[in-house]
Amino acid sequence: MTGVVPLAEAHDDSIYGSKAVGLGAAAREGLPLPPGVALSGDLVEAVASGADGAIEEVVRAARDLPVPLAVRSSAVDEDGADASFAGQHMTLLNVPTTDAINDAVREIWWSANSDSAITYRQRVGLFRRPSVGVVVQSLLDPDSAGVMFTQNPITGDDELMIEASWGLGEAVVSGVVIPDHFRVARSGEVLERTAGLKRIRIRALGGGGTCEEEVPAELAEQLCLDDAQLGELGALADRCEQVYGRARDVEFAFAGGSLYLLQCRAVTVAGA
Amino acid sequence: MAGAPPDAMRRVPLFAELSEGELEQVARLFKQRTFTAGETVAREGSGGAAFYLIESGKASVSVAGQQRAGLGPGDYFGEIALIDEGARSATITADDDLRCYGLTYWDFRPLVQENAAICWKLLQFMVGRLRAAEAREVA
Repeated sequence: MTGVVPLAEAHDDSIYGSKAVGLGAAAREGLPLPPGVALSGDLVEAVASGADGAIEEVVRAARDLPVPLAVRSSAVDEDGADASFAGQHMTLLNVPTTDAINDAVREIWWSANSDSAITYRQRVGLFRRPSVGVVVQSLLDPDSAGVMFTQNPITGDDELMIEASWGLGEAVVSGVVIPDHFRVARSGEVLERTAGLKRIRIRALGGGGTCEEEVPAELAEQLCLDDAQLGELGALADRCEQVYGRARDVEFAFAGGSLYLLQCRAVTVAGA
Repeated sequence: MAGAPPDAMRRVPLFAELSEGELEQVARLFKQRTFTAGETVAREGSGGAAFYLIESGKASVSVAGQQRAGLGPGDYFGEIALIDEGARSATITADDDLRCYGLTYWDFRPLVQENAAICWKLLQFMVGRLRAAEAREVA
């Protein structure tokens, strides 16, 4: 069994899955990631089966990570699997202790083997057994977070398009707020800044899971990113493109005054 | 503990004729799964991925919107999906936290393909079902 490695040592997507290997590349290049480890598909299978030693191996590897944790699936078995399986495989935010990783990993294994996942696989003609790796990272408590496209996904223009909101970025991804919208030129000039309507933010709960929390009225229509932060995002966009190539879809968060990269994928341009 | 309790599996007609050793081989393939109260366990018409044996908790069953008898500890569903991955014939919803042992098609199929004795007993079971269905049709 290949087991569990720090993210920087996740090289092989046939073992750890595409998400883990993508984050591994970022870690090796010194991009600002929350600390984390990658679990191989074999180890996830063993944990889900309750195999002796498997759970202890994961807990041992994760015990130095600051809690709470985010536990995410990293699909192993198909090209571009994480993109094509969006919505089928699971992410569990705010797993409160390393001991609770066991249940989270088992849930993720089942999310890849659920009725809906199998129905999807049948529809797209995939008849192989699903295999899923897992990424375990410290969960940030961000002041603001969101999504950045390093190429405008609507017009295809060579500019940054950023959508952000207060709290965890899931508020932007799940569409529960109208996020702030920014366009930034490659030169750093801010081309557009439009405040959204952000009446709620998603926060981690003390005992695990997340909640939607009301935002103070004065913040709901106040921009959640300032020009200095947009400048930091511009630098992160450049670094991501150096590491991964042009046209990236980046999930980011600002926590404790620092910028973190959470995920980086290829942009899907509208109409492509 | 890994796998499902063989005693509970013995009550499932599909596995009833398996020897102790065969039953233990199948039992080891099960994985625990918990559905939270209100969660949809299976949706009528959706592809079926796994067979489930309920350890604790209760679930409601409906077919075409009509409520049927509920499920509880020791009950099971989805055994035919183990063989054909066919569509679910009912919608099942967890009434409270529902702890199950689940066995997927992907795990079960290789065992059956590699073990002719198990395969033959399953075939006999399925033929028994077919004969019973034909008898009901004639009557």
